[in-house]
Amino acid sequence: MKSIVTSSGMFTLMLVFCAAPVFAADVDERLNQLEDSVKKQEVTIQQQQETINNLKADLEKQKAQTAPQEATPAPQAPKASGLFGGSIFTNPSISMVLDTFYYRSNLTNDELANWTIPGFTTQGPDQRNGFNLDSVELFFFSPVDPYFDMYVNIPVTDNGVSIEEAYVVTTDLPEGWQIKGGRFKSNFSRLDAQHPHAWDFWDIALPYRAFLGNEGLGGENGVQLTYLPVLPVYTQLGAEVLQGENDLLFGPDAAQGPHAYSFFVKCSVDTSDYSTFYFGPSVLFGETNNQNILPGSVVAADSALYVFEAVWKWKPSSREALTIQSEYLFLLQEGTSTGLTSGISESLRRRQDGFYVQGVYRKNRWGVGARYDVLDLFQDTFKLGGVQQNFGGKPHRETASLEYNPSEFTRVRLQLSHDQSDTTSGRTNDEAILQFNFSIGAHPAHSF
Amino acid sequence: MRRLLLSVSLFITLSTPAFAGVNVVATLPWIGSLAHEIGKDKVNVTVLVKSSQDAHTIEAKPSMILAARKADIIMYDGLDLEIGYLPLIIESSKNPKLMPGKIGNFDCSQFITVLEKPATFDRSMGDVHPLGNPHYHYSPSRVLRVAEGMARLFTDADKVNADFYRANYKAFADRVKAKETEWRAVPLNGKKYVAYHKYFEYLANEFGFRLIGYMEPKPGIPPSAAHIEELVRLMKEEKPDAILVTPAIGKEEAEALSSKTGVKVIVLPNDVGSLEGTDDLISFWDKVVSLLK
Repeated sequence: MKSIVTSSGMFTLMLVFCAAPVFAADVDERLNQLEDSVKKQEVTIQQQQETINNLKADLEKQKAQTAPQEATPAPQAPKASGLFGGSIFTNPSISMVLDTFYYRSNLTNDELANWTIPGFTTQGPDQRNGFNLDSVELFFFSPVDPYFDMYVNIPVTDNGVSIEEAYVVTTDLPEGWQIKGGRFKSNFSRLDAQHPHAWDFWDIALPYRAFLGNEGLGGENGVQLTYLPVLPVYTQLGAEVLQGENDLLFGPDAAQGPHAYSFFVKCSVDTSDYSTFYFGPSVLFGETNNQNILPGSVVAADSALYVFEAVWKWKPSSREALTIQSEYLFLLQEGTSTGLTSGISESLRRRQDGFYVQGVYRKNRWGVGARYDVLDLFQDTFKLGGVQQNFGGKPHRETASLEYNPSEFTRVRLQLSHDQSDTTSGRTNDEAILQFNFSIGAHPAHSF
Repeated sequence: MRRLLLSVSLFITLSTPAFAGVNVVATLPWIGSLAHEIGKDKVNVTVLVKSSQDAHTIEAKPSMILAARKADIIMYDGLDLEIGYLPLIIESSKNPKLMPGKIGNFDCSQFITVLEKPATFDRSMGDVHPLGNPHYHYSPSRVLRVAEGMARLFTDADKVNADFYRANYKAFADRVKAKETEWRAVPLNGKKYVAYHKYFEYLANEFGFRLIGYMEPKPGIPPSAAHIEELVRLMKEEKPDAILVTPAIGKEEAEALSSKTGVKVIVLPNDVGSLEGTDDLISFWDKVVSLLK
């Protein structure tokens, strides 16, 4: 029994020993088979990958070929702002400009009120010693429809609310033509076309004050036609028909209907990549009837004011700029002057001119400026009844300014003036002005 | 005989009437460059802003108005970057083709995904762009989408040459895509920079680096002493790789900050043509990536 067990054990052992190589051989074979199949699979995978790659390439090709039509992303949903930016569609863009200043003169308030330019204007300045609020100006602008853009400028001053500008501009006329209509600032001269807060000095130049008043021509009711031809040099031609309400050069009741007209040409060339020259002649003419030229008299006349403007701007970088600007104004006036109390009428003949030149240099947040104004420079004919009047010499003024602009929305300006325009007073008006100018909201860009 | 041939060929060349192509006015150099890639000799491109100028403070010059007067299409970056001069140029050009809503008024930003669109804003935050960061020309993928839109615009405006524009777009896209792999191989991921202005957000977004601070306390507001002091402290802590600046703004301030912190300054081009060897968009991106390396 024992032997059986033993022999069977031996057999089992033998079996195991004999079988082992057999088994081993079997594993090898299987492994080989496995390897083969893996290899086969690898090949298959490679083939599949190739197919996929080819398909991909085809797809890319197709995509690329049709790209501009098909692959173009849908433009994003309309933005909340149009070209003018910032606002929701239905509301016009609104901005507000606060212009306030501290004024100090060697003259008393009474003397200031009588600070006139003899032979030019009997209107004194509006400011008083101490704190002054020049204005809060409201601006509204927006496209009206595909054919018009509309601009409204409403200054609120101590004298109340007025409409300085309210006009529409065409946007869809044939190329080169544009019509402006409503109440607007005439483009015939430089300082007139600009808003007061965009002036390089706190006040208007002396020739403007002498011929047009403290605010210049200001907003006039009328129509303007401009044309910009395609020429090698920027050349804009313009004509205006205006109501003529300015109460120094014209007069609201000088005639029935519109009685002021202007023609202007503005040209510009770039003198380098960083500098531009802008210049042009203009004329503003019409009928005059007002009491502001000579004290106690009504002047009724035909007037023509010729202007030549020239501006050179140099802006080598975003932080540095120099602007030199000059205008020459020449007045022709023929008519009569009638004493308000005497009722005596005399012939009036004026040939007077005025000139200013100013420069402002700005670097980083700072700016310095200088200006020289003079009247009766080459022409001082003022004949009443054929007799030349003597007003005591050439009115003139020198001005210096210092600006600090913390941002493009804030301006602080210190201005000093030495004014000798009231030639009969025998005095000078030495002024110091500290002006603060703030703007909020979306303001339309200022033109060159 | 050769001379005759030469003079005949010269005669033909000279007597061919000047090509009356599509007149394109682009506000910025990169837009002009892109218009040229897509339109080649079939478009006449005029660029209003010089690459050496700061695109934020451009004034409308009469010469720009004259260029717009002659244009069939005006192309602009959008997102209010040109708000200070473009509306005035378009209105003063008296050219009805360029008015908003017309095919000739092409806002490049309409095709892109905008970064940094603020949820709330007012001007106490500085000169922020309420519609989002407008400097997306640093992002090749976004510019490609603008290129697609531009190709479609030219195709619509000049149907005869539709295939030409499509082919040009494809060629440009292929070149950009080939380059993109190259650019992505540059290890910018995880780098940290300080920048003068918020110029490089799209670049950071595309290439995975971080902008940890700005020299301007608020966009458009020049750096104050207090802000720089704070920035110096931050830079000592964070150890950024470089200070990024463009030639047009902030170079001197960046140099000063560099001498205080020992962090080097990298002057990146702000637009096509603003540095040597950035004559087109691809070389512009090439330059940007190689400078950041």
